[in-house]
Amino acid sequence: MAPLIELHSWSALAPTLILALTGLVLFVFDSIDPRSTNRSALAGISTAGALASLGVAVWYIVAGVGDPTRRGTFDLFGGQLIVDQMALFFMVVVAVVTAMVSIASYDYFLEHAYQAEYYSLMLLAATGMSTMAAANSLVTVFIALELASLPSFALVAILKTNRGSVEAGLKYFLIGALSSAIFVYGISLVYGATGYMQLEAIAQNLEGAEGFSGLLGLGVVMLIGGFAYKTASVPFHFWAPEAYEGAPAPISAFLSSASKAAGFVIAFRVFATAFPIETMADIGIDWTLAFVILAIVTMTIGNFAAATQENVKRMLAYSSVGHAGYALIGLAGLTGTGSNDVVLGAAMMHLLVYGFMNTGAFLFIALAEYWGVGRTFEDYNGLAKQAPMASAAMTIFMFSLAGIPPFGGFFSKYFLLTGAIDAGLLVVAVALVVNSALSLYYYSRLVKALWIEEPVVERDSLTQPTGLYVAIIFAAVMTVVILPGFGPVADTAIEAAAAVVP
Amino acid sequence: MATAFEFAPAIALFPLAAFVIALVFGDYMPKKGAFAGIFATAGSLLLSLWVLATVAGGEPYNEQLYQWAIGDQIGFHFGILLDPLSALMLVIVSLIALLVHIFSLGYMNAEGETGLRRYYAELGLFTFSMLAFVFADNLLMAFMFFELVGLCSYLLIGFWFRTESAPSAAKKAFLVTRFGDYFFLVGVVAIAATFGTLSFAGTESFPTAAEAAIDNGETLFGFDAETWVTITGLLVLGGVIGKSAQFPLHTWLPDAMEGPTTVSALIHAATMVAAGVYLVARMFGFYAQSPTALSIIAFVGGFTALFAATMGVVKDDIKQVLAYSTISQYGYMMLGLGVGGYVAGVFHLMNHAFFKALLFLGAGAVIILMHHEQDMWKMGGLKDKAPVAYYTFLSGALALAGIVPFSGFWSKDEVLFDALIVGLEQPLFLAAYAMGLIGVFFTGFYTFRMVFLTFHGEPRTDAARDPHPIGWSVKVPLIVLGVLALVAGVVNLAPIGKLTGAEITFLEFWLDGEYGAIEGLTYHAYHEAVPFAEGYIGTETVTMLVGAGLSLGLALAGAGLAYSLYNVPEPVPHTEKLGSVRTLLRSNYYQDEYQVWLAEGLTLPLARAADRFDQGVIDGVVNGVSSVSLFGSGWIKRIQTGVVTNYAALLVLGFIALLVVLGLHGGWFA
Repeated sequence: MAPLIELHSWSALAPTLILALTGLVLFVFDSIDPRSTNRSALAGISTAGALASLGVAVWYIVAGVGDPTRRGTFDLFGGQLIVDQMALFFMVVVAVVTAMVSIASYDYFLEHAYQAEYYSLMLLAATGMSTMAAANSLVTVFIALELASLPSFALVAILKTNRGSVEAGLKYFLIGALSSAIFVYGISLVYGATGYMQLEAIAQNLEGAEGFSGLLGLGVVMLIGGFAYKTASVPFHFWAPEAYEGAPAPISAFLSSASKAAGFVIAFRVFATAFPIETMADIGIDWTLAFVILAIVTMTIGNFAAATQENVKRMLAYSSVGHAGYALIGLAGLTGTGSNDVVLGAAMMHLLVYGFMNTGAFLFIALAEYWGVGRTFEDYNGLAKQAPMASAAMTIFMFSLAGIPPFGGFFSKYFLLTGAIDAGLLVVAVALVVNSALSLYYYSRLVKALWIEEPVVERDSLTQPTGLYVAIIFAAVMTVVILPGFGPVADTAIEAAAAVVP
Repeated sequence: MATAFEFAPAIALFPLAAFVIALVFGDYMPKKGAFAGIFATAGSLLLSLWVLATVAGGEPYNEQLYQWAIGDQIGFHFGILLDPLSALMLVIVSLIALLVHIFSLGYMNAEGETGLRRYYAELGLFTFSMLAFVFADNLLMAFMFFELVGLCSYLLIGFWFRTESAPSAAKKAFLVTRFGDYFFLVGVVAIAATFGTLSFAGTESFPTAAEAAIDNGETLFGFDAETWVTITGLLVLGGVIGKSAQFPLHTWLPDAMEGPTTVSALIHAATMVAAGVYLVARMFGFYAQSPTALSIIAFVGGFTALFAATMGVVKDDIKQVLAYSTISQYGYMMLGLGVGGYVAGVFHLMNHAFFKALLFLGAGAVIILMHHEQDMWKMGGLKDKAPVAYYTFLSGALALAGIVPFSGFWSKDEVLFDALIVGLEQPLFLAAYAMGLIGVFFTGFYTFRMVFLTFHGEPRTDAARDPHPIGWSVKVPLIVLGVLALVAGVVNLAPIGKLTGAEITFLEFWLDGEYGAIEGLTYHAYHEAVPFAEGYIGTETVTMLVGAGLSLGLALAGAGLAYSLYNVPEPVPHTEKLGSVRTLLRSNYYQDEYQVWLAEGLTLPLARAADRFDQGVIDGVVNGVSSVSLFGSGWIKRIQTGVVTNYAALLVLGFIALLVVLGLHGGWFA
């Protein structure tokens, strides 16, 4: 059956374009009504835009865009951008996190001075992340990455009167600048060694780089550095605990979920497309080894540092570093042996599930900040008595993050584990298990505080801000129902991964 | 048309439904749920009879119903096996269960017991478990319901849980049988691992696989096949010895008298204790492969038969006497099966079910008569006050003692005959036979000592002078069982058949599949597999007559001695004359003492040591790991100094380290 309307091929980018358009609409709104405090309109526009982007991306997936056997992938602008299943998968992740954070921000930024700026910056960052999902050349990768990063610095520091927020923004910016410098230098070295920027073209010209293996290798490691920064992996993770803790909690959610996912999608695409491991290993650049090391070190440092934190938000920040380590298994497992599509697909699934459970967890922090109950574990004592629904949702997030069945986090972690074992990475598999066991300690500590401990100080009754509650409950429901939906989700992810893996 | 087999699951499910109904609605029902149980067991009985008729029509049944675990090598399933053996047992169990339910109306309801809802619910569950155990088509399913039977007897023995002794007895029954079941479980696993199947019947069954392995001279787990079959068979036998109260795991059974007498009847006649021997019969094809296992079964049986009978001689409590007689009688069944007398063992199992249920229900009637007095020395003279109870009890006693023509004579004689002919060729078995034979004398003695003390002579207490009346619900089951105890022997009148040449050994034909059976599960097949030669004194008939004469003579001698000592108006405790022997017997050969010593002196210190290991080493390691983790955590936390220049430095250092590792690995610096 012929489609009703034959869309132009660039309309494949619609999920990204809608986000960009929404950002601009917010600008227009702001220029018509500067200093607007019409929170409903602003949060509404940005949520609607994110949801529209989400809807279009889901529709494309269902309609078979990117599926080689159905509508095929869309190469745009001479292969600079590509819309395939993996791109759409991550566009979904970005859009859904943006939507949840927008709804939650409605309550969180009550009486905040820079409403329109906040939402438009967030939408522009989301545009960057969405573009990262589609970037198919080192140039577009870098531009998209910067498009995502620059608004993020401002977002972290948006509480201008809050010292922590401003300091975090500055540190984030400094580390970001350093990392970007390393990254762009890496791009130039790869270009020097191969003569190309476009990812497929790099892959085809690796033969010619054999004489420059040191040069190319240095470039590759520098690229890894750039991705490690964006995904908050060791040793480029130093900004993360500070930024997540200092930033307003919805922004922490946004950065630790969407931005991390976007960082991973470019890493997946660049390494799977431009540097096929067989060829690279022949010229002495075994980048999976780098990711094996990074995965183990990242998950270990993240989880160990999280274990004894007193501050809940900081604990979540480190746990976010730990989860970056888990997702890195997706790259470490691309060893050419075993089922590469499964291990990469598992990492994608993990990032999707993480998009719900981690966003939800940070939004619960946002809720606690909204209530003003305090920041430490002790301050959270006994919250379940006053806010049972939100606490139940938080419990789901915690157990799902720890990887306890029947929540989504268990299944994605399970696939990662089997993928790692399949690829012969027993050390990584053991590290995953040990770290998960350790993580249960600090996640359940919070659950214990919520449900079992008695409050340290008397609290007044707590309000129920609609926006935050909607976002948290939605995230909790998704964390649970993703389990019955896991068959299709897993199929989509693995198909998407299979299309990228050479 | 619907066949009986389509309804077969309902045989077990009826009592299960009764369990649920009694549990949920028992308090609101007339008679507290008794009728639910009565209708359910009556339904089971009717269906069982239908199944029996269908099997007799030449249609056995062996089907998987539901596979609940599927592996590469093996699958586990629930299924139903209905062949002559299980069909017969289903009828026995459901009949006894029905009669016990009816009797309970008089014994429990009429006596104003509390907790009747619980009682009837547990009775239903008990019947369900046993029936499902009987028709199980594989060893694992049998094991599950075997355990459920054990659980139910725990619950019912401990029915009067507010007394001190009942919970303790229940616990003892549970623990001792569980000790045996532990070996059973290991055996199940071993058989599953060895043969890849746990089915009793069919081409894919473990007895068939065992036979093939022995024929092919395979080596299994480092043993030759026959040794391995012996080992696994003996492991399963552990469960049998526990449940069927064979030496040395018989100690729980006398204590189990703490439960209501109706429960004792059910446990002893048709469910718990019968389960063990039934299991041996069920997998007889497997034991038949191993002469060693059979010999052990025979010796355990023969020894237990004599050993328990001697203890029964000095007991004063009417239920205690019956308890030891049960142990002893199951010993005879084991002896019969152990010498390859499959028909004899099953025959005695059937007869015993009838007469032991009768005796226990009779004892229950006596207890009602005596206003809940169980000491026989406080009874006497009940013969004239309660003729129905007396004559039916007498019928059961004659059957138990093995007096011709009561049913017990025919089956016990057949057991001893089978032991004798095997013993004549393998002299070792003569010892087992001799123990069984001597046991007959003691059986005759304690049985009639019990009858005379209870019913004869002058009443020795006020209760005995003025007994409480008993109702129809007590009398009807007694009469039914009394008649059965008298006539049940006609199904297999082997001696008469041999003398006259008449074809009247119906049970043998039945079990031999003349009316239909599953291939391989017939007496013939078993008989060929059993590796014992048989010999005769002169001819078969002479041997038979000698054997029968010996056992009947000894039984009569025992009964006669009891008659002369106790059938007097004012009997005195003659056992006092036995002196230290009496002390030994009354202390049950100190079996409990040494087992308690084993538990306290050996197991407890061992458990303490294991606990110390667990607390110290295992927990210590776990705690150590967490301490180290938390310490490490504190250290790692410190990397995050908060100073951004430190971060930049660490970042670059980390980056360089990664570069160096990768470069060295890839040889970039070469």
